[in-house]
Amino acid sequence: MLAVTFETVRQLIAAGIVNGSAYGILGVAFALILGVTGRFHYAFGVLYTLAAFFAFTLFDRVGWPFWPAAIVGIVITVVMGVGIEAFVYRPLAARAGSNALLAVFVAALGLGIAGGNLIQIFWGAQTHSLLGISISPINVLGADIINIDLYSVIGGMLLVALLTCLLRFTGLGRAIKATRSNPEMALLIGVDPARIYLVVFAIASFLAGFAAIMAALKYSVEPTMGFRPVVLAFVVAFLGGTAKSPVRVFLTGIGIGLIETISSIWLPVRWTQLVVFVILVLYLISFSVNRTVFTRLSAALTGRA
Amino acid sequence: MQVASNYIDQILIFSIFALSLNLLLGYMGQVSVAHASFGAVGGYAAGYFALSHGWNVLLGALVGALIAGVVGAAVALPALRLSVEYLILLTLGVSSVLLGLFTTFAQLGGTYGLIGIPPASIFGHQLLQTTDWLVPLAVILAVVFLICHRIGESPYGRVLKGIRDDDKATLSLGKNVVLYKVVVFGITCGLAGLAGGLLAGFNSLATPSQFGFDVSLSIFAMVIFGGTGNLAGSILGAATVVLTKPLLEWAVSLAPETAALWRLTLYGLLLAVLMRLRPQGLLPEGLNVLKPATWRPSRSTNGSDEIVPTAVAAAAQEWETRLEVGESIAQEKQRERNWSDAPVVLEVTNLSKRFGSIVATEELSMVLRKGTITALVGPNGAGKTTVFNLLTGFIAPDQGSVKLNGEELVGMKPNRVANAGMVRSWQDVRVIPRLSSLQNVMLGVQDQTGEHLGPLFGNIPGVRKREQTVRETAMEWLEFVGMADFANSPAGALSFGQSKLVALARVLATNADVLLLDEPCSGIDTQWVDAMLSLIEKVREQGRTVCIVEHNLHVVDRLADHTYFMELGRITDQGTFQELTNSPRLAEAYFGTV
Amino acid sequence: MEPSESGTSESAASASRPSESRVGSLLALAGLSCSYGRKHVVFDVDMTVGTGEIVSLFGHNGAGKTTIIKNVLGAYKPSGGSVRYAGEDITGSSARANVRRGMALIPSERFVFGDLTVYENLLLGAANLKDQSRQETLLAQVYELFPILQERSKQLAGTMSGGQQRMVSLGLALMTSPKLLLLDEPSLGLAPAVVQQIFTAVRTLADDGLSVLLLEQNVGQALRISDRAYVMRSGRIILQESAEKMRARDSYWDLF
Repeated sequence: MLAVTFETVRQLIAAGIVNGSAYGILGVAFALILGVTGRFHYAFGVLYTLAAFFAFTLFDRVGWPFWPAAIVGIVITVVMGVGIEAFVYRPLAARAGSNALLAVFVAALGLGIAGGNLIQIFWGAQTHSLLGISISPINVLGADIINIDLYSVIGGMLLVALLTCLLRFTGLGRAIKATRSNPEMALLIGVDPARIYLVVFAIASFLAGFAAIMAALKYSVEPTMGFRPVVLAFVVAFLGGTAKSPVRVFLTGIGIGLIETISSIWLPVRWTQLVVFVILVLYLISFSVNRTVFTRLSAALTGRA
Repeated sequence: MQVASNYIDQILIFSIFALSLNLLLGYMGQVSVAHASFGAVGGYAAGYFALSHGWNVLLGALVGALIAGVVGAAVALPALRLSVEYLILLTLGVSSVLLGLFTTFAQLGGTYGLIGIPPASIFGHQLLQTTDWLVPLAVILAVVFLICHRIGESPYGRVLKGIRDDDKATLSLGKNVVLYKVVVFGITCGLAGLAGGLLAGFNSLATPSQFGFDVSLSIFAMVIFGGTGNLAGSILGAATVVLTKPLLEWAVSLAPETAALWRLTLYGLLLAVLMRLRPQGLLPEGLNVLKPATWRPSRSTNGSDEIVPTAVAAAAQEWETRLEVGESIAQEKQRERNWSDAPVVLEVTNLSKRFGSIVATEELSMVLRKGTITALVGPNGAGKTTVFNLLTGFIAPDQGSVKLNGEELVGMKPNRVANAGMVRSWQDVRVIPRLSSLQNVMLGVQDQTGEHLGPLFGNIPGVRKREQTVRETAMEWLEFVGMADFANSPAGALSFGQSKLVALARVLATNADVLLLDEPCSGIDTQWVDAMLSLIEKVREQGRTVCIVEHNLHVVDRLADHTYFMELGRITDQGTFQELTNSPRLAEAYFGTV
Repeated sequence: MEPSESGTSESAASASRPSESRVGSLLALAGLSCSYGRKHVVFDVDMTVGTGEIVSLFGHNGAGKTTIIKNVLGAYKPSGGSVRYAGEDITGSSARANVRRGMALIPSERFVFGDLTVYENLLLGAANLKDQSRQETLLAQVYELFPILQERSKQLAGTMSGGQQRMVSLGLALMTSPKLLLLDEPSLGLAPAVVQQIFTAVRTLADDGLSVLLLEQNVGQALRISDRAYVMRSGRIILQESAEKMRARDSYWDLF
């Protein structure tokens, strides 16, 4: 088992990067939402799944060409994401005050459960294929992958680069970072947080939609397709840091993807899926320990009088 | 009959799950989205011991409950200091790891789980039909309900609610918050393990999907539906969630598979709508189904939030505009003499604390004397509140000593400092909003029999008797501050001034020798200031030792027998307030150079 | 530039009512009351700030000073009374609208965007400008006032010293091209020399027509640059007088 060839490792690395970039892009989206708005957006997984189903329906059932179908699928996701923030989370958070995080989480949970089952009711539980792009094998630096893998990795990198530029070079991006960095001060200089939140939900939903279409092309369209990637997105977002740059979160996603595939050299597949969560729990334990030190420090600094 | 009893059995089992989660979430305020996976620990244990060792499933469930309890207590340790979002993530991770572990062991059936678990038996009577399970499950549920009720609706539960709403304030009143959290995590996870064992026995199988993440979420939903902090609500919540499916099959005549989907859709939507319309759930906290008097929230009984207690009615309007200093020099001198004659209660020597390069406190020495009021004044940022944090153990000093009646306090946790006889109040009050004023004050009383699990279950008359005296003591202190009329109002419904008085009563009820009052008069209207001052003076007459941090210098002038002046973490001068204010150097430190 | 009525002293009881508010005052508060939920913090406050005037507001911690300026800016809605700005009743108007009208508030704590560079902080100030072409002019002015900000423009604001962060926040506020600056304890935690530098800058700006409401613990420094002063205790104004007259007092202990 330990006689691992260079070929295998190269192949595993390629697979890790491919999977990881999907986790990364979702992690970037979730981190942006949690970092800026503080909403634990569990309904994210449903939006992801919906993007794939709408694209599939428009393409396969209605007969649209693939790209318009995919784009409309993503746009619907964006509209729904923004709608959930505007009509569910925001009023709820305003009412719940200091309990906003938990109240929003419960509502998001409800939407997630309801949405997932509604998808099954309307589309059935079966698995569909989205044959929008013909799949062809491709060799990149000696590793055998398929063309869709390449598109999703390059597309993911492009989107992360775009988001980074948006945050760094535009007024809107600065306003988003300002809201994340210091919401009260942002309010004081005339940034409207409510508006920024909507923008953030739109961006994050767009990223989720993209990831969903790519996953649908590679694997399949099915009601439960959103669960695992989205749970991994939570993990990636927290490990990468919800207030950190998208590049860092994206790389964390790739790191998780690599750990998953590379650990399969030594571990049975079932265990490799566990590794991520073991890392998460260990991280939270160390975080908890560090936090003690941190809270004491900040308590002392802010408790001036 | 078999169909009906099948659903009833499920309700009974899931009620146990929901009750245990409610104790954790509703009473102690700790979020867990992993409760079904603790059930899996119990379920797999019951199944494993039954299949491999021929044990009775019920015995296996008990052992499983113990194991789940230990695992739960272990999870509590990293959970102690995590905020909600991290707690969600931690329990999500734990859930995935536990379920993942079960599926990896061949002895536990891998992805298929354990199937064909032999039926349970009670006194040689095998439980084969769903109807056979009704009575045993009902009995077990009753026992679990009584345990949860005993823990939640008792002096013990009062502490849990304190932790839920403000763990720092609860800690400062001498409660061992860490121990409570670990124990309650252990108990609730243990009960979930028991429920899981029963579920495995009832279904004759233990599979990963039976205890999957969606099951955890449905248990979570049951608690939210029923009402967090209301145990009867959890049973109602379990019934609602379980019965939606048959109701849909029957009422809309849906096919079972479609009904299952609609059931989940409905309760998902309901969850979202409920958070908007009735976040407290169907049965709100404090509502007792058997007592109609509790059916309306007590909030409404408290009409105006600006009712001034009788003691406060004589408001001193002069506070608004008075500019001159009130006391003669001779009076001041007398008070200073009284101060230096009084015995030392608290002695602080060379207390220092640095955070990196920032000096918070340096070489700070001071004494507090019995039956006197000492004030700590200084410009903003001098570090006065930090001194309170250092004295009470909320921050550990780098060096120095704090001796209370000769006993060294440095190194003690805040709860031990409070037990030793020094208690602090908070600038921002920190009353427990969902407890009544009286319950808030009762939380302050020390040495309560019912705050320990042993006597809570082992000495019920003793707990009841002690609770009676605690109530009387608390009531006396509420009367002392003039808030007896508001004993049953939730503290969150009081005006700011009123809640400051309740917080004072709570600190007084600890019976501590030394009281550290952090800005007792800040943020309250002038009419309350005078009442607050008179009370603090009365406390001095009772022989208690008081130290105040206060920015309203008129308050300092009136109260303080002795004043320490602090700048940049150091005490730079001391004396009577008059002496200090005559020093041009201190004026410069306080007001800047002209 | 001397404000119209500086030098006169009046007690709170006889403070001018809204009907007879001074001509030319940029900001006029009448009977302003503020609360956070059930906690009433500010009671019946009358106050004016004239164009080009620096008005200091003193008072002990928790007296309600910060609450007043946050309600003026619109971060919170006042529970009673009115806020007039440039002759217009703006009571209850949003912070965003008031920033566009020319108000800027610098809080006492967390007053920069620590994760953003100095340059990004400054640009954020200009985000609401109607005339974006003024951005460069304003930036040049800020750099002229605080040259260190130009040197450190690429540095993350959170990594700078306290005094430099203060300059960033002042620069950020100036980038909004404000008419009224609400300054909360700018001297807090700073070395005396830095305080001097910042206060001198504020005086220069006021001489060019900026109105300033200055909340300070450092009475001495604040009076050095102020035209008038108010003193608050427990949510009420207890004194109003000219800076000159206040400077002449023997001691300020009895005001706090």
